[in-house]
Amino acid sequence: MSEDDKIRAEALDWALRTGDPGFEDWEGFTRWLEANAAHAGAYDAVAAAAADAADLIAASAPANDDVHEDAPDLRPARSRRAPWIASAMAASLAVVGALWIWQAGSRDLYRVETAPGQVRTVSLDAQTRVDLAGGTAMAFDRKDPRFARLESGQALFTVRHDEARPFRVTVGEDSLVDVGTVFDVRSDGEDLSVAVSEGAVQFNPKAQDLRIAPGEVLQRRGRSGDYTLGKIAAAQVGEWREGRVTFDNTPLDAATADLARITGVAYVVAPGQKDRTVSGSLLVAPLRRDPAALGPLLGVRVREDGKRWVIGVP
Amino acid sequence: MPPAAPPSSSRSGLEATFLENRDKLLHFLRARGAGDSAEDLVQEVWLKISRSNPGPVAAPLSYLFRTADLLMIDRFRSARQSVVRERDWSDVHAGDAGASPEPSAERRLAAAQEAARVLSLLESLGPRVSRVFRRHRIDGAAQKDVAAELGVSLSTVESDLRVAYRALVEWKERSDEAPK
Repeated sequence: MSEDDKIRAEALDWALRTGDPGFEDWEGFTRWLEANAAHAGAYDAVAAAAADAADLIAASAPANDDVHEDAPDLRPARSRRAPWIASAMAASLAVVGALWIWQAGSRDLYRVETAPGQVRTVSLDAQTRVDLAGGTAMAFDRKDPRFARLESGQALFTVRHDEARPFRVTVGEDSLVDVGTVFDVRSDGEDLSVAVSEGAVQFNPKAQDLRIAPGEVLQRRGRSGDYTLGKIAAAQVGEWREGRVTFDNTPLDAATADLARITGVAYVVAPGQKDRTVSGSLLVAPLRRDPAALGPLLGVRVREDGKRWVIGVP
Repeated sequence: MPPAAPPSSSRSGLEATFLENRDKLLHFLRARGAGDSAEDLVQEVWLKISRSNPGPVAAPLSYLFRTADLLMIDRFRSARQSVVRERDWSDVHAGDAGASPEPSAERRLAAAQEAARVLSLLESLGPRVSRVFRRHRIDGAAQKDVAAELGVSLSTVESDLRVAYRALVEWKERSDEAPK
């Protein structure tokens, strides 16, 4: 064990001990600190890491304000920051899980699917409808017109707002609650994108609890990837219904999946290029007649391979 | 400087203990790396206890040491945070000219993501490690109480916490190094 490792291990032990409300050996701790000038810094690193993690967890609760910059408060940890928040969060996650199972049991679901290239509209009530893009699978509830589940693909939601009965969309483990809205949801396997053109959507009210405003698009790459909140022209949200599709630095695999779904053309991404990005706005109809026309529009190379069209970035 | 008034019966036990042990605290803060600020920090400890008036404290001397120790930890944290913040701020502005993401939503999202990362890091160390950490560090339960609650020995709780702390130090080192 190197000297540094030894100091680090000792610092960790001291942080462990001083962190307990019952710790009393402050003089022993002082002696250890005095033995080597490097001890204090090593101890700070451990103590601060544990405190940072605890605060982060405690602060990241639903309905809790974002910025947690209260003046340093020295009451013991018990009363320092609302401790119930973290356990409430854990509990609410559990409740969500339980509720989900319970609802799934009591739900009367039916599935609606579209073939690639096909568009279909489902009306849930006079002012609430869901437009499914091609290659999309969704489930609705016969007993609950305020619920929809996007299994895969893309759909545009035009939702009548009802304070008492918010409209809820689940996508995998994520959940969206409308705040009076037109919004577009897309999920390809593990990626997720939610774009809002009117009203607002509350994303995962029990966890991140993030409000997505008009002109904003929330994106996540991969199941546990980072979320990014970007801008999108409101007119661009759901434009696929009018036969247009726009990419803005979109990873090639996501763009390809969109194109295949919306046009019905069997586009696939060239090996090893899924993370390249493309930008451009194009009309869908001409691609059905001539799939290779995509090339100059997006600046990609399109190669016919049997019945498939392989898209690559030159 | 704390008032020089001698401890009187009207003072709380805590204040009396402070006045009796002021030098010990100063000594501790110096060992703790406070350097020239040690005197100021002793005074801050005094202000804390005279303002917050925590009521009867079972172990007043320990309470004072703990207060001083937490002051030092917070000082370390805020110094580090301002360095990280400064850097992130310039990063954001270098790569994002013209765009104006809603700051509070962004920051909130980043914090929620970081919290989720920490939670899953702790979970990956085993469900008990994560539970022990949360009960002890967030709910503030004493280590022996956590042990009793979970029906394990105190040394098991200690070793769980050791595992958690070690992973958190590494998490912190990673997130301090990596540009966000």
